[in-house]
Amino acid sequence: MPNLPSLLAENHFLIELTDAGEGKAPACCIGTGPFQLTQGFPKTLVANENYWGGRPFVDKVEILTNKSIRDQWLDLSVGRADIVEVPAEQIRLAQQQHLTVIASPPVTLIALAVADSGVLSNPNLRAAIALAVDRSALSNVIFQKQGEVTASLLPNSLTGYSFLFPTELDLNKAHELRGGLPAPTLTLAAENNPTMQLAAQRIALNLHEVGFNVQVVNAATAQHKDLALLELALSSSQPQSALESMLRGVGVATPVLENTPAGLYKTEREFLDTHTLIPLLYLPRVYAISGRVRDLRLSADGSPLLADVSLQDAQ
Amino acid sequence: MNLRQKLLLLFSLTVAAAVAAVAWTVLVRIRIVFEQRDQEETALFVSQFQREFQHRSAEVAAAVDHIAASERVRAMAFEVVQSGDAAPYLTEAGTLAQDAQLDFLEIVGPDGNVVSSAQWPARFGYPEPIANQTTTTFLKREDLPDGTSVLGLFAARTIRGAEPAVHLVGGKRLDQNFLADLPVAQGMQVSLYSDAGTNVLAGLDTPTAPAVPIFAPFDPARLLSATGPIANAARYQSLIDSARKTGQPTSSILYLTDHREDSVNATAIPLKSDKGDVLAVLTVSISRSGMVQAQQHIRAIAYGVAAGGILFAIVCSLWIAAKVSRPIEQLARAAEQVAAGNWETHVPERSRDEVGQLARSFNHMTAQLASQRERLVQTERVAAWRELARRLAHELKNPLFPLQLTVENLVRARALPPEEFDEVFRESTQTLGMEIANLKTIIARFSDFSKMPKPELEHIDAKEIIERIRSLYETTCATTNLDQQPICFERDLSPDPMPFLVDPELLHRALSNLVLNAMDAMPEGGTLTLSAKPLANQIEIRVSDTGSGLTPEECERLFTPYYTTKQHGTGLGLAIVQSVISDHNGSIAVESHPNKGATFVITLPKSSPGV
Repeated sequence: MPNLPSLLAENHFLIELTDAGEGKAPACCIGTGPFQLTQGFPKTLVANENYWGGRPFVDKVEILTNKSIRDQWLDLSVGRADIVEVPAEQIRLAQQQHLTVIASPPVTLIALAVADSGVLSNPNLRAAIALAVDRSALSNVIFQKQGEVTASLLPNSLTGYSFLFPTELDLNKAHELRGGLPAPTLTLAAENNPTMQLAAQRIALNLHEVGFNVQVVNAATAQHKDLALLELALSSSQPQSALESMLRGVGVATPVLENTPAGLYKTEREFLDTHTLIPLLYLPRVYAISGRVRDLRLSADGSPLLADVSLQDAQ
Repeated sequence: MNLRQKLLLLFSLTVAAAVAAVAWTVLVRIRIVFEQRDQEETALFVSQFQREFQHRSAEVAAAVDHIAASERVRAMAFEVVQSGDAAPYLTEAGTLAQDAQLDFLEIVGPDGNVVSSAQWPARFGYPEPIANQTTTTFLKREDLPDGTSVLGLFAARTIRGAEPAVHLVGGKRLDQNFLADLPVAQGMQVSLYSDAGTNVLAGLDTPTAPAVPIFAPFDPARLLSATGPIANAARYQSLIDSARKTGQPTSSILYLTDHREDSVNATAIPLKSDKGDVLAVLTVSISRSGMVQAQQHIRAIAYGVAAGGILFAIVCSLWIAAKVSRPIEQLARAAEQVAAGNWETHVPERSRDEVGQLARSFNHMTAQLASQRERLVQTERVAAWRELARRLAHELKNPLFPLQLTVENLVRARALPPEEFDEVFRESTQTLGMEIANLKTIIARFSDFSKMPKPELEHIDAKEIIERIRSLYETTCATTNLDQQPICFERDLSPDPMPFLVDPELLHRALSNLVLNAMDAMPEGGTLTLSAKPLANQIEIRVSDTGSGLTPEECERLFTPYYTTKQHGTGLGLAIVQSVISDHNGSIAVESHPNKGATFVITLPKSSPGV
């Protein structure tokens, strides 16, 4: 397996020591990178003095979770935080609030997963769904032109062949593929955040135009999902590894045999022709940083590289 | 049913009918009054509803006007027109609607497509056809993302300053909260039936709308009051369907349960869109329990009064019967006695009214009848004596004339020689003896008639009497004189026993008389039939001949004493027969037509076996 190192580096192969035994905390910090994870709350990354690449500039990083975007921005504005999340569709708003924004290349795929069971076991209906979704409306309005419309799994910046997958909607052909079948009632599950729910409702509206009755539900509580609006992270800057990871993420264990653009295209085409996953658009990962943060760069998957970061007032 | 019972029934019916008429009138009047009150309350509520509706409309219009006039919205409209990019304002409608406390708000771009929608944010880019409507407020059914649609009161406004125009369409729900704000009188229930309508999404499969509006089937769950679903909503279906179809207010009485007090006077008021389509139906129901309870109360009183009235009628009828029906009953009994032959009957004359006058007339009538009967008896007695005298004279005149001649011959014969005188004397005395014997016979007949013996009754079967007659006269009938033809004697006897209690000799004598009469009636021969058969309580004996028959006049006078159709008859035979039959408590009649013979029918009481 030529991709074994990158495969092992994926998140789901992480080994975490959660309990040192008999309820006692581990004696030392966890990790061998520039930061080590300590126990307790909030989660804290402490600078690893023995890091082979050299000790990072900051002593520790506290990670606060479960905070709304509004609270994060408030913390940033009053100096309680240095790096906060910015949803892609709110970049304009963040800029209007004079926040310093740093965005990654497109790394998060918004895709529509289509079950191949029940009424949707008919491939024509799945193809009709793929043709009915208005990607440009999602990108231009809901995601405020921050997304990159796509019909492929990997972004065009990674493969260069993404343009070969058409992104335009074709309602006439969708109607034709549906073939006048009785309008089925489908459930579309989406994350319970306003943007994803709004995107799901827009997709439902698109699908109604070709005769599908779609009910949008919360993904966390949905019992049955015919459709699901997913966020798939690009896990690697290597196309083959990224594709394998993405396919594995949607439950397809198809190994990519050829690490060539043609081989990747073929694999991707064969999978997308099943219309069980409909790529919609790629979004960047965006952060707002405080004025004292220096030299923050983002990795290939959009995560911040904290080892290089320094703080101005800490000098 | 006698007069007393009739009077009782008549009085009872009269009282019951009077009470029923009064109760019915009162009930009808109460119903009319309550219905008028309900109509007035409904009309009052409708006017209040219209005022509240106008007030809400003004509120909505003011809110939308305020939004359209705000600097923020005008800047947004200017930006949308200038840049052509509406994406930054995706959530603007929601924010504005929240600030203005509107349930619905859509910003519609110059191209007529939704820029931002508060109620359905995902609907951006879709057309909103009513955005250009700049009239007053209007009703509209608004579709929601969950597939439902709700009724709303809308206003559309153009945002000034932007060209081409950007529009706002804002509104408020017309739902339970709206109903809760309406002033509702006690006993009144107001509910709103919002038609399911056709969701814009559900209608995408049908490219053309039907020419005739198709209403969704009635759904009781969609009929809501201010506090939620109402009970027995299904009972409103006919009323609401009528209002939906006709588009006109409809009123009806609805029975919500099987109990009458659970009925309501309901009025359905259709709420229409600006195009005249019925979008919802407002129902105003006023309970009829008060009226029904009043009616039940009055009905109970009426029943009580009717029962008391009937009892009173019974008492009155008894009293009136004592005053009115008793003299009439006495009159009826007296009339029955008069009919039975007691002409001396009198009724008491108690009053001076019509009944008393009737009693006096009755007494006068019976007195007159008795008097006339007495005069009639006297007249008949005189006539009978005259008839008897005429008969006696006639009967005695015949023998007296030969006696006179014989005596005169004897007087003249005294001058003859003794030998011739002896001869004449001998012949004369012989003639005198014969005529005297003839006179004795005549006198004996009259004596027999006057001295009819009393019947000596004994049990006997009618067959024995008939057989005895047959044995006596059958031979006589067959062997007649040279100048007469033989008569065929027939008998027809029932095989059943025919016992009766009679005097055999008297009955034999009567039947013999009838048989001899029948033989006399058939000088040229014929058939004489003697028959007997039992009836229910009588024995019927018939003596029939095939002779010349009798005229009706003869039949009528046949049993009158001394009436005869024979040349040498005394007219006493059939009178004796009738006397004998009457003495046996029987009857005799004659059936005859000229030239068709005659039949004498005797009926005698049947005796019980062993008596």
